[in-house]
Amino acid sequence: MIASIVNLNHPANTVHWHFFSMSVANVVVIVLLLVVFAVAILAPFPGHGGTAR
Amino acid sequence: MSSVNGEPPSVNGEPTSVNGKSWTEKARDRAVGALPPEKLLPDSQPSYMSSWIYVFGVLTLTSLIVIIASGSILALKGPGWWHFTGIGHFFNSIHLWSVELFFFFMVIHLWGKYWMAAWRGGRARVWMTGAVAFVVAVPCALTGYVSQQNFDAQWISTQAKDGLNAAGVGSFFNVTNFGQMYSYHVYLLPLAVVAIVIAHVLLVRRHGIVPPFQLSDRAQPTAREPESVREPDSVPAGGRAS
Repeated sequence: MIASIVNLNHPANTVHWHFFSMSVANVVVIVLLLVVFAVAILAPFPGHGGTAR
Repeated sequence: MSSVNGEPPSVNGEPTSVNGKSWTEKARDRAVGALPPEKLLPDSQPSYMSSWIYVFGVLTLTSLIVIIASGSILALKGPGWWHFTGIGHFFNSIHLWSVELFFFFMVIHLWGKYWMAAWRGGRARVWMTGAVAFVVAVPCALTGYVSQQNFDAQWISTQAKDGLNAAGVGSFFNVTNFGQMYSYHVYLLPLAVVAIVIAHVLLVRRHGIVPPFQLSDRAQPTAREPESVREPDSVPAGGRAS
C-alpha cells in the first residue's frame, strides 16, 4: 500500500478549548471554508467590466 | 379534416382541434412560457456576476456530475474491485473526494446566497429547493460511508445507529443493514438529489441570478445628509426604517 502523505495511523488529534472539542481535520476544513469564502468575495474576477450586458 | 405527413389535423388548411388544446400542447405552451429558450440557455449574464462567489454553484454541479460518473463505475464493478485493485482504489478516491468538494462548494454557495438574501424577488422556491438539496445530500453521503464494506463503514454505521435511535427515527431504517443502505445510496437518494438539483437549476434559469443589494436599499445613511436632499420619509440617525 502506498503510504499517504499524512500519517493517519493514529487516533485523531482534537482541539480542546473550554467546551469546544473538535478534530483537527474538521477545524482545518472549517477554516479553509472561511478563507475560500473571503477570497471568493474579495479577489478580483478576471475580465471584470468586459462584455457583460 | 385531414392529417398528412404528421401535420396537425386541418380543415381547408386551418389547424383544428376537437376539444381545444391537447395536454401535450398545454404542457409545451406552459414549459416554453415559463422557460423560453433564451432564458433556459442564455448567451450572456448580468455584469454583477463578475465575482468568484457566483462560481460556486456551478462548481457544486460539476462535483455532482463527477460523483454520479465515478459512483456509476463503482456500482458496476463492486466492493471487491474498489477495495483490492489499484484502479478500484483510484475510482474510490475520486468518488470520495468529489463528495468532499461537492459539500465544500455547496457550503460556500449556501453562505454566499444567504448573505445576498437570494430569496428576494420571488425567488423563494429557488432558495427552498437549494436548501432541500443540501438536506437530502447529507443522508446520501452518510449511506455511502456505511456502504464501503470495511471497518470504517462498521464504525460509522454503529455510531449513526445510536444517534438515529436516540433521535427516534431508527425504526424507519437500519444503518447497519448494508443491502438497505446500499440501495438508498445508489438509487433512492441520488435520484432525489438529482431531481431536486434539476428543479433548482431550472428555477434559477426562470427567475434569473439574484442581483446584489443596491446601495439605496440601506435603511440608514452612513453619513449625515443635507436637510434639502433628505426624503420626507427618511429615518433619523439611529432610527429604523418603517
